[in-house]
Amino acid sequence: MDTLASLLHTSPALAWMVVKIVIVFSAVMLLASVWTWVERRGSAMIQDRIGPNRAALFGRIRIIGLAQLLADGIKFFFKEDLEPTDVNKGLFWLAPFLAFVPAMMGFAVIPFGRDFVSGGATYHLSVLDPGNGMGMLYPMAIGGLAVYGVLVAAWSSNNKWSILGGMRASAAMVSYEIGMSLAVVSIFMTTGGYDPAEIISAQGSLPWHWNVVPQFLGFIVFFTCMFAETNRLPFDFAEGESEIVAGFNTEYGSMKFSLLALAEYAHLMTASALVVTLFFGGWQVPFVAHPSVGLSILSFVVKLLFFAWVFVWIRWTLPRFRYDQMMRLGWKAMLPMSMVNLVVHAWLMSHGR
Amino acid sequence: MFLAFALITLLGALGMLLQKNIIVAGLFMVASFFGVAGLFVLLGNPVAAALQIIVYTGAILVLVLFVIMMLNSHEEEPAETSRPIQRWVSVVLSLALAAGAVKLVLASKGLQQLAEKGAPVPQGVTLQGVGAVLFANHLLGFEVAGLMLLAAMVGAVALTKRNL
Repeated sequence: MDTLASLLHTSPALAWMVVKIVIVFSAVMLLASVWTWVERRGSAMIQDRIGPNRAALFGRIRIIGLAQLLADGIKFFFKEDLEPTDVNKGLFWLAPFLAFVPAMMGFAVIPFGRDFVSGGATYHLSVLDPGNGMGMLYPMAIGGLAVYGVLVAAWSSNNKWSILGGMRASAAMVSYEIGMSLAVVSIFMTTGGYDPAEIISAQGSLPWHWNVVPQFLGFIVFFTCMFAETNRLPFDFAEGESEIVAGFNTEYGSMKFSLLALAEYAHLMTASALVVTLFFGGWQVPFVAHPSVGLSILSFVVKLLFFAWVFVWIRWTLPRFRYDQMMRLGWKAMLPMSMVNLVVHAWLMSHGR
Repeated sequence: MFLAFALITLLGALGMLLQKNIIVAGLFMVASFFGVAGLFVLLGNPVAAALQIIVYTGAILVLVLFVIMMLNSHEEEPAETSRPIQRWVSVVLSLALAAGAVKLVLASKGLQQLAEKGAPVPQGVTLQGVGAVLFANHLLGFEVAGLMLLAAMVGAVALTKRNL
């Protein structure tokens, strides 16, 4: 790292920062785009179909349909960029970015591997170093902003179905945020800190010490709320194809639509990273107390991909909830459950376990 | 950095005042809140920045925009009768608020420490610190605020749901 920095005439800290940002954002982008393919293949697998497997590089190299990503991307770029006549132009263009940027930013605080020491300096494997004072508040704050992408896309389209979709989605996201925050608060409480690095190191390497075991209720609440936050089935009220055409992205086409769709998958990646960090020990490797850096990154990525797959799995297994059912679940099941979780853990802590 | 965030805050506030379309005005307000959050980070108080974004941009403004969309009134409505006294009252109140804010900032401990040489630099605020101060020094205020919010919530439910 030092030689690289001196070659580029910057300080090692700055070079490391740039390297981290490039790695994290390109990895999340790549995973998000790959997951569009995984979703289609996964849905095909679950519904006993074959799924996209025809696209091929140079008409020959198929790699189990992975070339579909390229084909989709090229297609979206070359489609006509339609803009309906009565839309609010500025906001119509702004909305995909408002959806995409928060989805990417949330990942910044998550440690994806253990720290290592090189040349006398400690390097942290997360874009924002631990001890930045924001800690887990940062992804929650950024997650709250994801609403704006949907809301602005819905409103600027000037379409009744879009506005319906946007309003349902924003109401759902705001109501599920409360249960989610309380589930996270009880983790702050038992950990005694709110920095993701502290939360991970407090969980240790034994799987039954991870937060998912003592706080199983919290995990259920958090994971359910993540479905509402990412607007995915069974809670995808922003889209709801069978009810409101395609919801907030009805009027969107070409790359603007693609960006909205990618935002959903980037959000999914961030959501599963949060689940892994909070409840499954982050980069901790089961039964290995001091893993090497590579092993810890591998462990994190495996857990991340598993939960991202669970998102796909549930999407194609469960039917969509009705809107009032979802609101009832959010307010009358998730919120009390996370409160019970909070109070029980507070009681346990006050009695010294 | 400071100039950038200050400009975002001020331009957002100005845009909010001048924009006729209330949804766009609301989004300008979001930008302004972002500028304020950035200023909090520069002041070494990331917790306040995060809370600013969570509470104001993530919850309150979303609800405000939600209500505006539900009522589907996109344009500002002209007042039925203009009351010039409102303008004067608002000018006086905002001047009083500004004077109070400036006085608070000038009287703050951190600023006085900056003036002296060799005084310890004010440390960044952590969530633990905020919680301890809230429950140790400001417990009464905290409980009163909680009670008021609860009363408001009960009132809202009672007003909207006639037959429970």
